[in-house]
Amino acid sequence: MKRKRIKYFFLFPSIFWVLAFTIFPLVYSLGLTLFRVRLGKPARFVGLANFARILSDYKMWNSLRITLVYVAVTVTLQVILGLLIALLFHQEIKGKSLFRALLILPIFCTPVAVGYLGLTVFYEEGGPINSILMSFFGTKIPWLSNPFWAWVAILLLDIWQWTPFCFLVILAGLQSLPEEIYDAAYLDSSSEWEIFRKITFPMVQPVIVIVLLLRLIESFKIFDVVYSLTGGGPGTSTEVYSLFTYRTGLKFFDFGYASVLGYLLLAMVSVAVNIFFRRIREVYG
Amino acid sequence: MGVVRKRSKVALVFRYVLVGIILFWALFMIYWGVVTSLKPPAETFTVTGLSVPFVQFRPTLENWRTELSVRESRMALLNSVVVAIFATLIAMALGVPAGYALARFKFRRIRNRDLTIWYLSQRVLPPVVVVIPFFLIMRTLRLLDTRLALILVNATFTLPFAVVITRQAFQELPVELEEAAAVDGCSEFTAFWKIALPLAAPTIVAVVAICVAFTWNEFLFALSLTSLRAKTFPVYLAGAEDTRGVQFWFMATRAILALGLPVVLAVAIQKYIVRGLTFGAVKG
Repeated sequence: MKRKRIKYFFLFPSIFWVLAFTIFPLVYSLGLTLFRVRLGKPARFVGLANFARILSDYKMWNSLRITLVYVAVTVTLQVILGLLIALLFHQEIKGKSLFRALLILPIFCTPVAVGYLGLTVFYEEGGPINSILMSFFGTKIPWLSNPFWAWVAILLLDIWQWTPFCFLVILAGLQSLPEEIYDAAYLDSSSEWEIFRKITFPMVQPVIVIVLLLRLIESFKIFDVVYSLTGGGPGTSTEVYSLFTYRTGLKFFDFGYASVLGYLLLAMVSVAVNIFFRRIREVYG
Repeated sequence: MGVVRKRSKVALVFRYVLVGIILFWALFMIYWGVVTSLKPPAETFTVTGLSVPFVQFRPTLENWRTELSVRESRMALLNSVVVAIFATLIAMALGVPAGYALARFKFRRIRNRDLTIWYLSQRVLPPVVVVIPFFLIMRTLRLLDTRLALILVNATFTLPFAVVITRQAFQELPVELEEAAAVDGCSEFTAFWKIALPLAAPTIVAVVAICVAFTWNEFLFALSLTSLRAKTFPVYLAGAEDTRGVQFWFMATRAILALGLPVVLAVAIQKYIVRGLTFGAVKG
């Protein structure tokens, strides 16, 4: 194509926008990390003291541990469940397109609203889950008053919302596989499991990698559901990293330290994403 | 699958039972929210089992009427609508031309692929990293608790959808039409505006829906940058619980009110969801 000036006219407004509204705040935040900034008081230069604070901040380590375990468990379960459901739907099912449309519904649900719906569903005294447990097993689960179960409740909501997404994308991947390969495989009369292991899985694997990457990125951001369902409690047992950072910055107005916490999160997500970088470049090549 | 294999009846029944269980799991929460919002408050937890409306209790719209008569509630809905519309408009106005440029022209200094990934990296950035600088910047600009602040932030965070998804849509259009137009003396801009844009319309509509839904659902910035006047509906939802203990009937009504719009949008653009939410990495 000819070189055209107009291409800059098309591209530059958005570049300036990102520079102004993403890069500038990031640089601003980097500056904040070197200061002790509190509302109403002049900022004081403290060098790397904010970074040093991380080492002895047990609350930070607590939230980091919760978040990393959370990300690992939720992403793994979502992708595995999504794959299994996709395999189920890849078979002949009457009314498939309707069922698929219904399964999409959780994806776009407002996460805060999901948290509050969770509050009614997990309600300990007479909520639907506990009343079913009561009538069948004569026992109930302390969903929101016990640290472990509160964690499970958050996990369940996140899995509820995002497994359909994994399912939908993996199903799209499965449906794009050429059918001829299966015809040949069935003539060989290999077992179902062998066909999955040797043909289906390797061919759909690139799609699974994309799903894994996207869920990984999003899971690190978890905030809304925790805020609305448990508020980080009981105690600080479900205070995920974003919630801890938010509180440090905007409840205790410790802006400098909160910026350090933010950058640490950014570093972790970047490392996680970099593992996939070659794959990303292939996709947009 | 192309090959029909013989299966036992049991396996077939099992398949549908599994599908049933999955659907029940996926829809139960929404169902429960709707049903709770239709119950008279006194019956919230007295009706047992699945609480089927008309069978087990008599549904009422009382909770909805009460909720929608609250001024604060209507205000929050209005704020959400205004922020979603204008943030989406900005994201599209900036993003669609950028997507077109990345699809049709060649950039030398920074290559097209790297530019695309640069836009995408916006979605990698956890919002909490920039929420503090945004708070301080908006405070300096005296934009705290305004819709404008939320419009700017949400336009920024939905921009990658507009750029990356439309880029792919333009790439898939045949370039010949625009070339023919150029031969006829059409300007580059007219070729974009009159030819490429209408052809990419279905994708653009889908991207608009995605931007609206993401802005509508956004919570962290809305919580941090507003306090009273500019509260969006999710923030209103989150702030309403403490007033008089947990009132499940209102909470359910508000939750359904909050997720209604994005869920409808999801159904409307379901063909584009895979492509949209994977940024074109997987074609649905």
